[in-house]
Amino acid sequence: MLQLDGISAGYGGARVLRDVSLWLPPKSVVALLGTNGAGKTTLLRVASGLLAPTSGRLSVDGEDLTGKRAHTLARSGVCHVPEGRGVFPTLTVKENILIQAAGGDVGEAVERAVSVFPVLGQKLGQLAGSLSGGQQQMLALAHAYVTEADYVLLDEVSMGLAPVVVDEIFEFLGRLADDGRALLLVEQYVSRALELADYVYLMNRGRIEFAGEPGELDSDRLVAQYLGAHT
Amino acid sequence: MRGVCTVNDLLPFLVVGVTTGSVYGLAAMGLVLTYKTSGIFNFAHGSIAAVSAFVYYDLRTLRGLPWPVALGVAVIVVPPLIALLMERVTRSLAAGTVATKIVATIGLQLIVMSALLAGYGGAALDFPGFLPTRTVTVIGVNVGIDQLTSAIVAAACALGFFAFFRLSAMGVRMRAVVDNPDLLELSGTSAFAVRSRAWLIGCWFAAASGVLLAPQLGLDVLLLTLLVVQAYGAAAVGLFSSLPLTYAGGLLIGVLAALATKWVSHSETFAGLPPAMPFVVLFAVLLLVGRGRLAEIGGHRPAPASKPLMSRASARITAVVAVLLAAGVPLVAASKLPVYSSALVFVLIFASLHLLVRTSGQVSLAHAALVAVGSSTFSHLVVGAGLPWLLAVLLAGVVAVPVGMLVAIPAIRLSGLYLALATFGLGLLLERAVYGTSWMFGATNTLPAPRPALFESDEAFYYVLLAFAVAGSLLIALVGRSRLGRLLRAMADSPTTLSTLGLGVNVTRVTVFAISAFVAGVAGALYASQGRSATGAPFLSYTSLTWLTVLVLCAGLRAAGPSLAAVLVAVVPAYLTDGTLAQALPVLFGFGALLVALYEARAAKRRGSGQPLDELDAPQGSRSGERLGVPGPAAQRLTVARRARVARSAPARVRVGTGLAKGATR
Ligand SMILES: Nc1ncnc2c1ncn2[C@@H]1O[C@H](COP(=O)(O)OP(=O)(O)OP(=O)(O)O)[C@@H](O)[C@H]1O
Ligand SMILES: [Mg+2]
Repeated sequence: MLQLDGISAGYGGARVLRDVSLWLPPKSVVALLGTNGAGKTTLLRVASGLLAPTSGRLSVDGEDLTGKRAHTLARSGVCHVPEGRGVFPTLTVKENILIQAAGGDVGEAVERAVSVFPVLGQKLGQLAGSLSGGQQQMLALAHAYVTEADYVLLDEVSMGLAPVVVDEIFEFLGRLADDGRALLLVEQYVSRALELADYVYLMNRGRIEFAGEPGELDSDRLVAQYLGAHT
Repeated sequence: MRGVCTVNDLLPFLVVGVTTGSVYGLAAMGLVLTYKTSGIFNFAHGSIAAVSAFVYYDLRTLRGLPWPVALGVAVIVVPPLIALLMERVTRSLAAGTVATKIVATIGLQLIVMSALLAGYGGAALDFPGFLPTRTVTVIGVNVGIDQLTSAIVAAACALGFFAFFRLSAMGVRMRAVVDNPDLLELSGTSAFAVRSRAWLIGCWFAAASGVLLAPQLGLDVLLLTLLVVQAYGAAAVGLFSSLPLTYAGGLLIGVLAALATKWVSHSETFAGLPPAMPFVVLFAVLLLVGRGRLAEIGGHRPAPASKPLMSRASARITAVVAVLLAAGVPLVAASKLPVYSSALVFVLIFASLHLLVRTSGQVSLAHAALVAVGSSTFSHLVVGAGLPWLLAVLLAGVVAVPVGMLVAIPAIRLSGLYLALATFGLGLLLERAVYGTSWMFGATNTLPAPRPALFESDEAFYYVLLAFAVAGSLLIALVGRSRLGRLLRAMADSPTTLSTLGLGVNVTRVTVFAISAFVAGVAGALYASQGRSATGAPFLSYTSLTWLTVLVLCAGLRAAGPSLAAVLVAVVPAYLTDGTLAQALPVLFGFGALLVALYEARAAKRRGSGQPLDELDAPQGSRSGERLGVPGPAAQRLTVARRARVARSAPARVRVGTGLAKGATR
């Protein structure tokens, strides 16, 4: 279980997260929803070790990893696909996969990446920065599959992509879930995220305001209230 | 110029240029590699070269070890230790401002340099070469085997490194850390570990170039430390980013310097030009290349320097007390009065530097040269042109302004780092190429400089200086507190603000630079007048580094800082009877500046992600996120917390809608 307990965190003087607790059990899919600026990205940054919390506890499979740096968490099975394009633009696709493999067998890693996103196979020698937005996102997502991480944090991975690409990405997410990975999903396509999710957290102004199963979520009303939108 | 040069005339110079340039290129690659990966430009890069050369000298000549052992220790064993230190220091500096980062590595440089000077003396020593010095003929030119070997070794290292950087897994990681260190960490690779490898290679290259160049340059601390200047000239050709171009830049600088040697051999005036070649190249790059191509590496805090140790009120009281004490000095100082007189001049010098460094976050390393310009101009005006004393003093200040602005203008629009580099180069260029000419101090390096007729005596002139020191400090304080000063402080070190506000900010920055240069020029005139002669000896380019570190040490004292700095630089050494202690003083200054920089970077980091300021306004007892029940998936069930709060929460923006809209527009 990836476990965040009583986390507070922020940037400089500004506190963004206030006493947030969130659990990501193994093999489950958890959706984290909230308005712009609610603190979702900040929470994922804490969960993957990019941002040290000012208080609270972070643990993975019972091991306390509070204050550990991101590379340690990554090695403990946490994979964070960050907001924006999670690729190294000046590296080739193959070199990106090499980094993702973190010292593992590169050939095997490339095979795995190509098996989920075949289009990458034709682009191995190309600079990641010259890929299309969708292809870059696929490369970033391949990380999750390449590393066999148990906990995958996905921050708006469908953002700014064409509908067909979004379909492909959700298909991949379903595949990851079937593969037994736990997913923490921050998504703008709320209904699609809820379809996959076992649990939902609603976040507002740096706090968790609802946590429960999607069925419990009177979705039309709550989503309208929290997210100001209809699905 | 005499007639035409045939290729055959030039060939020897080309060959010499390429052989030394190859080694410069190697050093420069190390510098660029560490800069790219860590975001810290290491002004102490040349010091690493010096250390390895001296370690070799010490083991070989002083201890008589066989040369392979000495070489192995100097080039293979020592650099990793330095790399370890560098990685540690730069890691702590990551959150600091540009000025903090510059000051820290300059502090390091000063430590190493002064320690070597104290330990081995300033005179060039014979470097015990380890390569045969016989010559061979290459394309019709006689070259020493040692030189040829150095060039080939350097080229081989450079080539090997390109291959490593492009092909090996660690090379890929190094490029990844340049691209996005956070993402690298997310992939399970420690960015610090990768950076420490880069430091290791950088230090190895510096050490190798030190040992390879020492036979040609002689074992001279200053010359070897100056390798960083050759290196950054080469780095400029690669726009501080491309490693192959940087190596090519090294070759270019080597060749230009060699050709310049040929040309200046007919001219006394420009004898100092060859060593200043890197600066000429850097300057050309700064002029020709746009801001976009020379983006600075590494994130910087926009936060200004940390809180002063002194409140404004106590700084004022201190200032008044200091002036009163200073007024009484002639009654007690007796034979040491000249020491205090020069301290007053230093108050002016440090006040002008303070304005630049502390108020606007700009680091200038040409300050000593500007003071020297003031000194020599003053003599030319008073003695040569017969102007009245006061007018000559003020005009000396005026003349220093365009000299400084010449480099400040192209550099300031880029970033604090380039200003520091350009001014470092300017200081060196003036010292090497102009101090000795008739424009400045002339071949004898001394010019007459009178005092005003009415204030001939030491006591009387002391009060003249006191008046200048007070007036200058007031001027600086006024500028600091004016709208201009507030503006500068507000945007000290914020490149983003800089680019959004554009030209206006650059104009203000240049204005401050000009004011600072003016005061420095005036101080130079007074310094000359106090000593009754103008000479360049006290204003070598390394003096600028010492001044900077001393000022940074005292900066917590606000306006009182320059006065304390003046005491440290001018008065304290005069009372140190122990020669080694006096020599070790710059080491202490360097340490102090390094510690201050580390402290400020740490404070900035704490402000960056530390304790929240709004602790108090966080509502108590709102543990809405707390789990109920037993662990496991069941524990995920929470009550729908605080429905009441939901009602009053502001209507949120449309997310699903915007998401779809975004999806559609792509
Ligand atoms: N690097 C940063 N420095 C300072 N403040 C930040 C930083 N990143 C985020 N914030 C602030 O933290 C708050 C939460 O931001 P965060 O990115 O976590 O929100 P989010 O829920 O991911 O929003 P979005 O849906 O827009 O991605 C915002 O108010 C934002 O202004
Ligand atoms: Mg976000």
